[in-house]
Amino acid sequence: MNRRRFVAFSASSIAASVLAACDSFGPKRATSLLKLAERKNEVLERWLFTSGSRNSVAADARLSGRAFPRYYISHSVPVWDEAQRGVWRLEVSGAVRNPVSLTLDDLMKMRSTTQKVDHFCVEGWTARAEWTGVRMSELARAAGVTPDAQYVDFQSFDSDYHESWDIDSALHPQTLIAYGMDRALLGPGHGAPARVHSPVKLGYKNTKYLTRIVFLPTRAGGYWSDRGYEWYGGV
Amino acid sequence: MTTAGGQALGETDDGVGLSPEARGREPSAVVPRARRPRHHWVVRVTHWVNFVALGLMVTTGLRIFNAFPAFARKGESFCCYPFAGKPIPAALTFGGWLAGARNYHFAAMWLLFVNGLVYVTFIYLHGEWRDLVPRRGDIRDSWEMVKFYLFARRDHPHQGKHNALQKSAYFAMPIFGALAVVTGVAIWKPVQLAPLTNLLGGYVWARYWHFVVMVCLVLLTVVHVIMVFAVDPYSIRSMITGGYNEAKSPEARNARPFFWRRSPASVRTPDRGFDR
Repeated sequence: MNRRRFVAFSASSIAASVLAACDSFGPKRATSLLKLAERKNEVLERWLFTSGSRNSVAADARLSGRAFPRYYISHSVPVWDEAQRGVWRLEVSGAVRNPVSLTLDDLMKMRSTTQKVDHFCVEGWTARAEWTGVRMSELARAAGVTPDAQYVDFQSFDSDYHESWDIDSALHPQTLIAYGMDRALLGPGHGAPARVHSPVKLGYKNTKYLTRIVFLPTRAGGYWSDRGYEWYGGV
Repeated sequence: MTTAGGQALGETDDGVGLSPEARGREPSAVVPRARRPRHHWVVRVTHWVNFVALGLMVTTGLRIFNAFPAFARKGESFCCYPFAGKPIPAALTFGGWLAGARNYHFAAMWLLFVNGLVYVTFIYLHGEWRDLVPRRGDIRDSWEMVKFYLFARRDHPHQGKHNALQKSAYFAMPIFGALAVVTGVAIWKPVQLAPLTNLLGGYVWARYWHFVVMVCLVLLTVVHVIMVFAVDPYSIRSMITGGYNEAKSPEARNARPFFWRRSPASVRTPDRGFDR
């Protein structure tokens, strides 16, 4: 075998073994490398993150309105059934000095913020809406978050949907616990009675049908982040 | 690019009517044949790493694109993409599903970025940029190449390491690569790096530019690969082992795409021994 043939032979063997080892999902062995890249990317993303960053949308910008996609993981639209479950309450607990439990009225009595921002979906689309709600930082102050709280888990009544966040993103001034959308009460398709909304995280991190906000010393994964999507999901 | 005085005559004359010998490029003029490879090993390694990185970035990027194969913000329209809603054929994508493709995309981006950085730094420090940087006369030389390829000119224009068309393609490649990185970062961090995203016209446009730059990179690559096989398959070896037989260069063979002879009559034996 001359050298040229050897090179051709080795090249085709390598190509064949690469092809044999992977389908369109890629080889299993690449998973650990991809996980490593995700962890390193998170370090960079958290370094890039500043609480002073803003998603600013022009005051006269068009809203997506009815074109804003609705989505949930349950078989049908999750609706809070008061007869069965009692009055809806939002519990703020975990690493806090004063755990609180708020009805929708309580939440609406708190200082509210209205902001017109983008919604960034992991799929690549964006939508615009005007959200009304209470800043997460406001709720954190009310509950007296302790210094060991590094993460926040946002839990819902949409089956077992939840997503946990780093505390910095959760306390970003544009992170809201929203109960209003486009100057009306949040509809069932968009996470009524209250949901997380923030332009600093991808859509799937913004838990809808919110029931509990738990401050934690460690991260708690999430519905989509446990299924292969990045846990950080920052924008 | 160092040419003897006699060759300048051939250049100004467009070489028409002059055989390669008459232009002072008979085989004996090619010697001394340097043992230096045509492409430095750093260039060869980064070339193939780039092939893998670009292949991964494009195929996973197309899989990500397929999750929303359009550009308009919800409730708005978008002027400039006629194929909205039509997914890219799955055979051209990689990653299996959106999350898989994203994980590959955000890992392979480092391969593309670091490899590109190594290549550009290397050619800057080592001098290879001189073979690629645009010069006065490149447009005229490119036009001569086009004429030659279209049989409107008989003899291959005189060239240095690359012909004028090749040169501009290889010069454009790293620029489009850098644009791919910049537009990609803009849609990765449209809030944390909002000034960059706004500079590109906002998220929707930045995503569009990222797509357009990808199309340009793919076109450059496809044309490059076709031309390698159609004009100078001998150059494949030069990108693997570094060896290249100047007597078989497209200029020596007077090679047009798909129209060239294996052993041009004008090339005589001395270069056989160089076949290393």
